[in-house]
Amino acid sequence: MIAWDQALAAPRDPAPPLPSDRDALLRGFHPDHAPGAMERLRVGVSAGQPCPAALADLLQSNALVEDVDIAGRAMREAEVLVLGGGGAGCIAALTAARDGARVLLVTKLRMGDGNTVMAEGGIQAAVGAEDSLQRHYEDTLRAGHFRADKALVAAMVRDGPASIRWLIQQGMGFDLEEGEDRIGGHLLRKKPGGATAARLLSFRDYTGLELMRVIREAVLLTPGITVLERHPVVELLTDPHGRCAGAVLLELGRREIVLARAGAVVLATGGAGRLHLNGFPTSNHYGATADGLVLAYRLGAGLREVESFQYHPTGIAWPPHLAGTLISEAARAAGGLLFNGLGQRFVDELAPRDVVAAAILREIAEGRAAAREGCEGVLLDTPGLEAANPGILAKRLVTLSHLAHRAGFDPAREPFLIRPTLHYQNGGIAIDAEGRTAVPGLFCAGEASGGLHGLNRLMGNALLELVAFGRRAGAAAVEAARGDRPRGVGLTHLAAWERGLVAAGLPLDRRAPMVFPPYGNVDLAAMLRQRVAA
Amino acid sequence: MMVLTDPALRGLALDGYLASAGHGLRAALRDPGAIIPVIEASGLRGLGGAGFPAHRKWAAVAAAPGPGRWIIANGNEDEPGTFKDRFLLAETPHQVIEGALVAAVAVRAAQVALYVNPRDAATVAGLRDAAAQWAAHPLLAAVSAAVGEAVTLRVVESSGLYIGGEETAAVAAVQGGFPFPSLKPPFPAQHGVHGAPTLVTNVETLAQAGHILEKGADWYRGLGIGDAAGTKLFSLSGDVLRPGLHELPMGTSLRSLVFDHGGGMLGGRGFKAVFTGGPSNTLLTERDLDVAMDFDSLRARGSRLGTGAMIVVGEGTSILRKTAEYVAFFAASSCGQCPPCKVGTFQVARLLERLEAGSGGPGDLEALRNLAALLPGSGRCGLVDGAATVLASSLATFPAEYQRALR
Repeated sequence: MIAWDQALAAPRDPAPPLPSDRDALLRGFHPDHAPGAMERLRVGVSAGQPCPAALADLLQSNALVEDVDIAGRAMREAEVLVLGGGGAGCIAALTAARDGARVLLVTKLRMGDGNTVMAEGGIQAAVGAEDSLQRHYEDTLRAGHFRADKALVAAMVRDGPASIRWLIQQGMGFDLEEGEDRIGGHLLRKKPGGATAARLLSFRDYTGLELMRVIREAVLLTPGITVLERHPVVELLTDPHGRCAGAVLLELGRREIVLARAGAVVLATGGAGRLHLNGFPTSNHYGATADGLVLAYRLGAGLREVESFQYHPTGIAWPPHLAGTLISEAARAAGGLLFNGLGQRFVDELAPRDVVAAAILREIAEGRAAAREGCEGVLLDTPGLEAANPGILAKRLVTLSHLAHRAGFDPAREPFLIRPTLHYQNGGIAIDAEGRTAVPGLFCAGEASGGLHGLNRLMGNALLELVAFGRRAGAAAVEAARGDRPRGVGLTHLAAWERGLVAAGLPLDRRAPMVFPPYGNVDLAAMLRQRVAA
Repeated sequence: MMVLTDPALRGLALDGYLASAGHGLRAALRDPGAIIPVIEASGLRGLGGAGFPAHRKWAAVAAAPGPGRWIIANGNEDEPGTFKDRFLLAETPHQVIEGALVAAVAVRAAQVALYVNPRDAATVAGLRDAAAQWAAHPLLAAVSAAVGEAVTLRVVESSGLYIGGEETAAVAAVQGGFPFPSLKPPFPAQHGVHGAPTLVTNVETLAQAGHILEKGADWYRGLGIGDAAGTKLFSLSGDVLRPGLHELPMGTSLRSLVFDHGGGMLGGRGFKAVFTGGPSNTLLTERDLDVAMDFDSLRARGSRLGTGAMIVVGEGTSILRKTAEYVAFFAASSCGQCPPCKVGTFQVARLLERLEAGSGGPGDLEALRNLAALLPGSGRCGLVDGAATVLASSLATFPAEYQRALR
């Protein structure tokens, strides 16, 4: 470990790093491969699959509510119920409403409070003349170590150009090439880490925020969508045939249970960063507690690649109060270099994220990291970037500069101290190309779903996924919701689930979903106790 | 305790079945006149739910004059929580047919209809296959000889609806008509299929008959506990650890069924009540845990054994929601002939749904109480009575759950 002053003083050598064996690097230093990090699921349709222990505890838990809790409760009706108010959920809701469905969009926090707004780097789509859908497809599969579902990846990359056109039609802005007129200009394309072509489209370094801005407005202005904010879902409802037919919601304001019945349900509840797997800080928002995974799994939806999480290489290591906050990959895509405490480059900065993250963890483990006030990490050379591209920090990397301001230093003079941060759930609920899960009536889109990214996600594919599959799931849900209103809606699936827990020798008193992280100021257990007493 | 559920009785091959079973039918053929007395001595009751002494029904058909007599083996079974007949028909078709042929010999009926719910296509196909094997077997020729004319064994698919299991509705359906119940009398025993004397009997009752003829009335009586005779298939479901079909001595206590055979309450929840099949009877509660589950003991407690379906409700499950679910089933199952049933079950279901959805008021509760008092006895079959009974019972036993749901 090298003291901060020494690390700053060390001359930074821009010579390319020595190549290293990627597989050995991942096996040795990626947190997914840490000894004891995984256990095997013991109950449910994906029993036998490896899964991080903290997530397995939640997946193999008992429900928060039971039948008596839903008796005599107000029932809201919709044709399509969308769970989650991030990008995927809002786009699914918008698509379903435009297809003529009555849509109820419910969200744990507020609309847009999610990870979509934190997507900084951009969105991938093969729109360049020298690029192709085939290259995008191959890049995605290769980065995911060939574990992604080929049909899903093909669907996503095929939707790429149309998704960008759709976003522009919604009013979203994109960066244009230098010197181009605003009208008729060409989209600025950057080369994302792990890709073979310049394919990353962006809006400054807050692409996701810009996306969410226009989608949120569209949702609010679309008749046929009712939005319920601060209504976390605590259980899914089924009809007697096991079809998903709605959800049990907890209205945080009045602390009451509300039921929503629907012909089809789209689950877009995002990821699990707030589980802080392996003790890592996270870039994720406050609500990323794997609720959707827990509920869908309990109902019989299969999971895939849940053992695989993405640790973003460039999370803030210092100052501690911002630990885990994301620094966009745009900084590296624009040419920002990483140095260890000795002033050496140690990895190709544009290698896939899992490789870069593992390399940083190797530097830390092997004592070549820099340390500032006890926080260890490596240097993201923003001064070097500014020197090579004058003005880039102020114009293109706005969020990064803002972050430095909050941390109390000038990024043009001082580098960031960074280390990997728990960023993305690569796997999730298994879906088909229309967003269908194994449970009839239940659809899934966005980070909660699995199969698009294999064991590692390319930057820019998360935004593309949520647009492509938000639209696919929304449209498919409308189709599924046509027909009779679901009848006999209840919690019939819970008894079988409990019997499964008993048979596997698992405790019955562990309750999930988590809804809020344990260090928050919401005591869900107390809230539910109060509800039972009422 | 395995009489009906003996693994040796399972399978589709008739030769395999007759190698180890079929002794009851052979005994019946040796002495047809002894069948009904043996059934009487055995204490066999109608196991479809009514518990009517089997020998009286059989004797009535045997004594009724007229040609073209019928047996209807009733396997319509559609009520929530009951799944015994589908087991017998799917797993032990020859056991059921043997019993039906014993009855055919006893009442001299040449037309035997296996009247089954078409819900499971594989079961229906299996039964047709089983019937065809019997048609080619010399044992059926012996049955024909005993009856006095050629016995025809046929599979008749029911409408699959609950009401089709009522005996007069079954007769109508076998005749090719709409499965509507009709007023009684006349009873099917005198005036059944095409006006001929007809024995309509649940398949579980028939299945028992073969074993009784084989092993004797005393053996059968001895299987039961106390005064009760034989065994019963209990369809156990709800908040228990191990739901499923349990064949137990008639007269087994509810406590033993739930806590020994059912593995106890799911998740260690408190016991609240049991809806008995199906589910149209007075609720059993904690004070009934030690009551013997047989027709007479439960009737003495103001409830009924019914089909032997026991839907267990624990703390954590709402009686109001369960009652609403079952009344909604009855409302959807009403054939609509009798206005009080058609309108009454619909209104009760609507009021319960309002309460259950949190939009009901005290007036709705009052209306439910009135309907519970008004409706019984107003239909030509028992459907409306069942709906009213389960409503009245849940209102009387769990008033707090209804109060809590009021706006």
